Amino acid sequence: MTPLLRAELLKLRTTRTFVAVVGVTLALSLLVVVLTALLSDEFSARDARDLFSADFTGLFIMLLGVIGMAGEWRHRTITGTILAAPDRLRLMAAKMLAYAAAGVVLSLIVTVMIMLVGTIILSSRDFETAAFSDLIDVLWRNLLVAALVGALGVGIGALVRNQVVAIIGVLILGFVIEPALFGLAPDVAKYGPTAGAPAGIQDIDFFGGDGETDALSPGVATLVMLGWIALFFAAAGVRLRSRDLV
Amino acid sequence: MAPVEVRDLSKRFGSVLAVNNLSFDIEAGRVTGFLGPNGAGKSTTLRALLGLVRPTAGTATFGGLRYEELDRPSTKVGAVLEDASFHPGRTARNHLRVLAATGEHPFERVDTVLADVGLAEAANRRVGGYSMGMRQRLGIAAALLGDPEILILDEPTNGLDPPGIVWMRDLVRAQAARGRAVLISSHLLAEVAQSVDDVVVVSRGELRGHGTLQSVLGGDEGLVTAVRAQDNERLTRALEAAGHRVQPFRDGLLVPGVSPEEVGVVAGDAGVYLVALAPQTRSLEQAFLALTGEGTML
Repeated sequence: MTPLLRAELLKLRTTRTFVAVVGVTLALSLLVVVLTALLSDEFSARDARDLFSADFTGLFIMLLGVIGMAGEWRHRTITGTILAAPDRLRLMAAKMLAYAAAGVVLSLIVTVMIMLVGTIILSSRDFETAAFSDLIDVLWRNLLVAALVGALGVGIGALVRNQVVAIIGVLILGFVIEPALFGLAPDVAKYGPTAGAPAGIQDIDFFGGDGETDALSPGVATLVMLGWIALFFAAAGVRLRSRDLV
Repeated sequence: MAPVEVRDLSKRFGSVLAVNNLSFDIEAGRVTGFLGPNGAGKSTTLRALLGLVRPTAGTATFGGLRYEELDRPSTKVGAVLEDASFHPGRTARNHLRVLAATGEHPFERVDTVLADVGLAEAANRRVGGYSMGMRQRLGIAAALLGDPEILILDEPTNGLDPPGIVWMRDLVRAQAARGRAVLISSHLLAEVAQSVDDVVVVSRGELRGHGTLQSVLGGDEGLVTAVRAQDNERLTRALEAAGHRVQPFRDGLLVPGVSPEEVGVVAGDAGVYLVALAPQTRSLEQAFLALTGEGTML
């Protein structure tokens, strides 16, 4: 597994996609944090904590995984990849681990940067800022979510294969279906892979109103995300193993 | 045990039988041409060998093991398939470094094989800007990375210019001289005839001939008579009864080593009316076409 993982990490580092995704994610996350911190009239320590949790990073990391796996079909490199690594399930597992690691790196960069910039702006406006222990708490939750959605993105890409369809599908899920479910069926929405379950891990109050979170506990939410990953791994694995590469 | 063994291999795609009960071996230290017209089942056979398609029946193995059972397969088998593709945004060096990491080969091998295929100067260029010939060379570099015992090349001369074809010929001969088994597929006999020792000829998914180039295709074996009769079957029986070898050839027959006069006498004795009769000097290409049932005569 180690050589395969090394190879997949090398693949990630040797195209411009990863750098571009890091750049776009960082820019968008910073924009949201800067505008929110500058334009808000009041800000509690809890608001600051939530600000550093609820950014676009998860969705972009999922897209990175989708692009990395579905790109093997788009660029027709899947044949060469499988010739080099004939065990297709090990290959997919290595890719999932690589994109989980890439997600952690991307999330670490983005989270640290938005925490730094956001805290500076909030301090300069004499607002309450999140305690250091809270920032560490947000950081590990963000990194865990990043690892899980990175792996899930690979599973989605392996199952769908068509890169454009997979990307559009993830965007519709993340921006249309899950947000709609939050209003229509919150008990279903909290199990969703792009926002619901990640919100449980990140302790984000998506269901508030009365201030009490209705999200899954971090442990259950992590298990739900692992379930999504296992589901896509199994479905994509069956498809990948049974299909001829002609 | 031969380095490559194909036994009773069949592959069906829906209603199409792409490969039908194919069996052959290839030997170490020899270059084997895998020949047949487009659509003959060559690529499907190679993909079955490489574990990319699952045979409907039969086996295709390397020293008795299926490709996916090989430990570090790139040290045993190097393959270049016809549609070899690369990520356009990755440089040639990085493409090979990824493969080196997968196959656990030292990164120094990357520069060695890049130099071997003449791409050292272009190693740091993105593959998206490569010509077809350069991509073909990069594919070969990838196949050579693990210094494999067996080399499989699917239509390797596609996209190569004449010097490139000569280079390819020298490369496969050099590999065979080092004791490697080389299997090289082509639909153009002329491009591989000078580099192969053995041939496996297929057509419509079936084996049409297997052995040394000389034994299967014969080459220039003197006069060949092309003949077409009103009843080709009767003429075939008559010629065979007279001790002559006959090959079907589209709408007539080829009779190697026999003059038109002799064919005419046999036909006359048998009471078979001839429609056309002409002498031909049979070339390798004609023998190949006759064997695969392609081309026209007379």
